Amino acid sequence: MFGRGRSGDDFARDALAHADSLHNLARYLAGDGAEDLVQETYARAMAAADRFERGSNLKAFLFRILRNTFIDQARRKGHEPEPPEPEPDLLRDDAELELLRGLVGRDIEEALLRLSPDSRAAILLDLEGLTEAEMADVMGCARGTVKSRLSRARALLRQSLRLYRRT
Amino acid sequence: MDPNEAREQEAEQLLTAALLVKLPQHPASLALKRQLADRYAGATRVPRPRRALFALGAASAVAAAALVVLVPMRLDRARGALAGGAVQEHVAVLRGEPQLQIVSSGIHEVKPWFAGKLDFAPAVSFGGDAEFPLLGGAVATFLGRPAAYVEFARRAHRISLFVLRADGLSFPHGPPELRTVLGFEVALWREGDLGYALVSDVDRAELASFAARLTSPGASQPE
Repeated sequence: MFGRGRSGDDFARDALAHADSLHNLARYLAGDGAEDLVQETYARAMAAADRFERGSNLKAFLFRILRNTFIDQARRKGHEPEPPEPEPDLLRDDAELELLRGLVGRDIEEALLRLSPDSRAAILLDLEGLTEAEMADVMGCARGTVKSRLSRARALLRQSLRLYRRT
Repeated sequence: MDPNEAREQEAEQLLTAALLVKLPQHPASLALKRQLADRYAGATRVPRPRRALFALGAASAVAAAALVVLVPMRLDRARGALAGGAVQEHVAVLRGEPQLQIVSSGIHEVKPWFAGKLDFAPAVSFGGDAEFPLLGGAVATFLGRPAAYVEFARRAHRISLFVLRADGLSFPHGPPELRTVLGFEVALWREGDLGYALVSDVDRAELASFAARLTSPGASQPE
């Protein structure tokens, strides 16, 4: 088992090398529940290692498990699905450019946390360098919709930044 | 370019740079990594049958397993940061920082231009060709360090090459290591004391082909 030709040790070692990236995504999705989410993600990943296609992106495989685990945990806790986010309304003016130039880490973190988990995930998965196909697989959507989801998420983030700096 | 389109492009580039450089990262704690290594890497590595031997070797086996896991994690993170830095610098270049300080298609004009401007000589032997013409160079910074910036092109795409002192940074030895960061392709490698970061929005195969030309011992050196 373990990933068609890979030893268990190889799979575990390679999978554990992504702990930082997984924890980062988990923290932005689940806040203080990040460690539990990562623990459960690894438990599921080890159990599903034989479904990992050798040569494909292991990090994307793990992100998919993490996202599904996050959704399952939210359901178990009785959380309702998030309502759809409103359409972003961008001003695209020079004031926005000034705002973006002067951002500090806390600004962008707070603004990101105001988005829905799906939008947060789209932005963070893109930062991790996943391809469109890999992002589609992780997010459970058609490849053709990844670009529009990402573009919408980034527009919402810009809007959230503007509102956050106003408060 | 239409002013609104230019403003939109700049806003997107600034957002990308802010996400790459300023967004706080939340890596796994050492305790969590040790717990995971113990549960998964350690468990498959430690032989079961001889309990006495296990007892004696358990501590070192767990420590070794943790090392096997933790070192690649740090290395991957460090290289991710290098690749992210390369994209950030490339985005700055696209915004016009730095401007080319020497505009030339001759590597034997560009390389000597750096003399006296940096405390190292950027070893770049490939001088461009019809597919990847050399455009010029400038003194830049890369992750806060002085760097030689050499610019090439591929059709309408710009290709940024940064060369800097590699001490303390995780540039990989051996052939260029390729990564995709936010749609940009990045190649990282090390030769001697120098680190090389190549970044562009050309596709991965093209950047790999270009990196191979840069690292080929028989690279052409047109005057």
